[in-house]
Amino acid sequence: MKQLTRINSLWLLLIILTLFSAYMAERGTPGFYSVVIMAVVLAAKGRIIVDHFMELKDAHIVLRTLMRVYFYVIPALIIIVYLFPEQIAKWTVL
Amino acid sequence: MNNLASSHLNEQVDRPESVLGKLSFGQTSDKIPGSLAIWFAILAEMSEFAIMFIVYFLAKVHNPELFYEGPTKLSTTAGTTNTLIMLTSSFFVVRAVMAIRDNKPKQSATWLWGAVACGIFYLIIKVFEYQWNTAQGLDTETNIFYGVYYYVTFNHFLHVGWGSAGLVWVIYRINTGIYTSNEHEGLINMAVYWHMIDLAWITIFPLLYVIR
Repeated sequence: MKQLTRINSLWLLLIILTLFSAYMAERGTPGFYSVVIMAVVLAAKGRIIVDHFMELKDAHIVLRTLMRVYFYVIPALIIIVYLFPEQIAKWTVL
Repeated sequence: MNNLASSHLNEQVDRPESVLGKLSFGQTSDKIPGSLAIWFAILAEMSEFAIMFIVYFLAKVHNPELFYEGPTKLSTTAGTTNTLIMLTSSFFVVRAVMAIRDNKPKQSATWLWGAVACGIFYLIIKVFEYQWNTAQGLDTETNIFYGVYYYVTFNHFLHVGWGSAGLVWVIYRINTGIYTSNEHEGLINMAVYWHMIDLAWITIFPLLYVIR
């Protein structure tokens, strides 16, 4: 019963985070803070699914780490790309 | 509550030493949800999506104006609805795994039918979204933002399609009594694969629909 309550609550949290993202998309002012918020929301949603839906929280450390790192790296890239677009563009010209 | 009940995906069986076991560094658990093979597939798929996300980031820094305006012309409603559908389908899959562990195969199959319905609903919304885009004059040739949008989302569309077919196959296996409360590794494999499809979408959604 405890596990059922936890899974139900996490699903509800994921839904709320998604609706918050939609609100930001429609009403939020584009800018640094909204980008950081979206990156954090993505990291949180990814971590919930990896840890609790995929049940990697108590699984083998290699699998757990690989999947968790994914949801640190992508949100970090979102922020880095927002902060330093010109520098990255300069470094990636053929 | 014992370990079996506290985990819906991790098999509580003695496994032979795995490849990952040999690679381990100070791990406290050898548990792998499902088979090692499905995790190679999942990591390959996640890498494929990661390459697409890197392409998105590179295209964005070289075309900041197009990527600033691009999301504003897409349907946030369609993107949000599909995100809610994918998250709910993942939830249904979790409940299906919990049900089979509880020795309730019929209930498990019902939850999986719910996930399949979500998958089909997702595909239908995506088709309408593409048609809506076309009516607005947005296609793969419009500019690089929409080129990336169509490449990434259509790739994900295909994953949802074959993932839904995979879920139907698992339901068939449950209904024929192949999966039981003690042996259902195939169901676990499909469950973690479906969650991977969900993970890809929750990343795509902010990148293409929200962040400017």
